[in-house]
Amino acid sequence: MPKSLQDEGRPIQSGQSLHETVLQHCLAGELRVVNAGLPQRLKRLSDLLDEEYPHVPCNDGSTHLFKRSELKYLASMLDADEQKTLFLPMLIELGENQAEVAIICQAGAEERVVSRALDMPVTCEHGRIRIYRPQLALLRRKLRTTTAYLFSARIVA
Amino acid sequence: MPELIKVRPTKIELVKLKRRLSLAKRVQKIVKDRLSILTMEFLQTARDTVEAKRRSLDEFSKLYKALSIAAGYHGYMALEKELLATEADPRIAAGSRNVAGVRIPSLELVGNGRKMRRYNLTDTSSWLDRAAQLSEESLRAIAELAELQRSFELVAAEINRTTRISNALEYIVIPSFQVTINYLNMKFEERDREEKARLKRVKVLVARG
Repeated sequence: MPKSLQDEGRPIQSGQSLHETVLQHCLAGELRVVNAGLPQRLKRLSDLLDEEYPHVPCNDGSTHLFKRSELKYLASMLDADEQKTLFLPMLIELGENQAEVAIICQAGAEERVVSRALDMPVTCEHGRIRIYRPQLALLRRKLRTTTAYLFSARIVA
Repeated sequence: MPELIKVRPTKIELVKLKRRLSLAKRVQKIVKDRLSILTMEFLQTARDTVEAKRRSLDEFSKLYKALSIAAGYHGYMALEKELLATEADPRIAAGSRNVAGVRIPSLELVGNGRKMRRYNLTDTSSWLDRAAQLSEESLRAIAELAELQRSFELVAAEINRTTRISNALEYIVIPSFQVTINYLNMKFEERDREEKARLKRVKVLVARG
């Protein structure tokens, strides 16, 4: 058993040590950092294609720039009506399950895009498309700027 | 060996420590998840960087050959005269994107580069057209390589930082909370035993009268 400081006759500190305080600041910062880059609002693909510099503002005040080549790649998969229903960036939710991730699916367009990008059928259940981590790497390779990570509160629940 | 945190041996401190331990474990989950995502991005970026570097070298090699042939065909003076008119500022859309808390640059050549072909088409050959086309592709490759290389460095630095935090949590913070909680629990058990022993002693003394 470790020797208590009280037993050694030293004064007891009820507050935190400097070391502990610094670590707690680090941890608080870490929580802030992970979701700081999330977009304030999502934009339709059809609207982004019309913009000169397609971008969305983020929560931390910065902007998330989309690559026109990726937008064109997405547009090539969808018809004009579907382009209006696809909101970008697509959010990839990292949940409690370490083996898989979920892509938030608001309409059928996301399902079609992910299916085409991964070259395999995917299904949307309860507004989420579930894929495995190795598939995530493939998806991110093709859709680097049109997807964003979302660290869900469910991870820490 | 994890250090014992300096706290008063009271029940309130025990409750506080338990709360802190639970918070630290939750944050550790986030940090580990972030680390796994950053590692995945790092490996992907590394592969892409190697590929982009190889591609840009190929592009430059092809461009150099095409330009040499065009120079041989037209002559240096004539070629330079034609190329004077092609000088244009290529536009690059520069911005950033966020990957698990890391701001990564995003560079993309704007337009299809046709502005660079302002030379006289009647006085020049298809060799120059080929060189101009390859120079556009080289510019695109440079922009891509610049983006990937910087992303590679930034993600690597962030992985280092996150690993330190993860290790600090795993080997220092959480064990020290656990050790202190164990110590406080033992302390309280010891007090209970002392209290029981004292009561027994008092009971014996009272019975003796």
